Amino acid sequence: MFKDLNPILHSQLRLAVISILISVKEAEFTYLREKTDATAGNLSVQINKLKEAGYIDVTKTFKDNYPQTICKITPQGIAAFEEYVRDLQSYLNIKK
Amino acid sequence: MEQEKELTSQESLELITRMISRARRDYYDTGLSGLLWGSVITICGLATFANYYLKWPALDYIWFLTIAAVVPQIVIAIREGKQRTHRTHDEPLMYGLWISFGISMFLLSFVLANSPSAHEAAIYLTVYGIPTFTCGIGRNFKPMLYGGLACWVFAILSMFCPYPYVMLYITAGGLVAWFIPGLILRNRYLKAKQQHV
Repeated sequence: MFKDLNPILHSQLRLAVISILISVKEAEFTYLREKTDATAGNLSVQINKLKEAGYIDVTKTFKDNYPQTICKITPQGIAAFEEYVRDLQSYLNIKK
Repeated sequence: MEQEKELTSQESLELITRMISRARRDYYDTGLSGLLWGSVITICGLATFANYYLKWPALDYIWFLTIAAVVPQIVIAIREGKQRTHRTHDEPLMYGLWISFGISMFLLSFVLANSPSAHEAAIYLTVYGIPTFTCGIGRNFKPMLYGGLACWVFAILSMFCPYPYVMLYITAGGLVAWFIPGLILRNRYLKAKQQHV
């Protein structure tokens, strides 16, 4: 039987954000926007969903008097991502 | 990436691969540190070589330029840190590597001033190669990898070369290990900056 893919991660933008955050230690909102080509509004909504799921930590600070949002993947996010990739691989192996 | 569409398993894997490679490729470096240290070592090496013939007393102190260069290096590091929009996993490791290299060079200059060696250039070039080669491997940046290797080759060659010609190997070491990689990084940085304007 196929295991259902994690619905939080099985979304284009959220998966893109998690994939970037797994590759870096931490990233600013502007960096994520630049890499994903998403609009600020949509990215903000998806980041909130990832945060609510406990997959990322979001820290809001100020840099040179401008608000700055820093995102970092949590251990729970890493575990969920690894499981998601394992599930994807099992799908693809069976389909082959 | 605006419209949320249903992803197939294949598309999901492709997206993950694309994003990871995009983030990994994004090695941020303005190239200024490489240019700074490459220029300083090149100038000091050439000046010391020339001074063998010129005999200008002022040029005996040219290597103090390496101590003075620490100030602009700190300014560059602070400015780059402020401009950075992401931090990589290997950043603390790289900082540790370059700081320990700087301290080692400082100590080495004292040790060799008190206990002169016939192969000072070979010792310096061997140490130049360590962080350069490691950085080249760690960041998958071939110009630094080859620069580090070249320093070690120059270290061996300098042992069979009389003074002041060994200073030309030091000069070449500064050029290939830092100045040329710095120039490449600078061009890459300016191009990337232009694309985002």
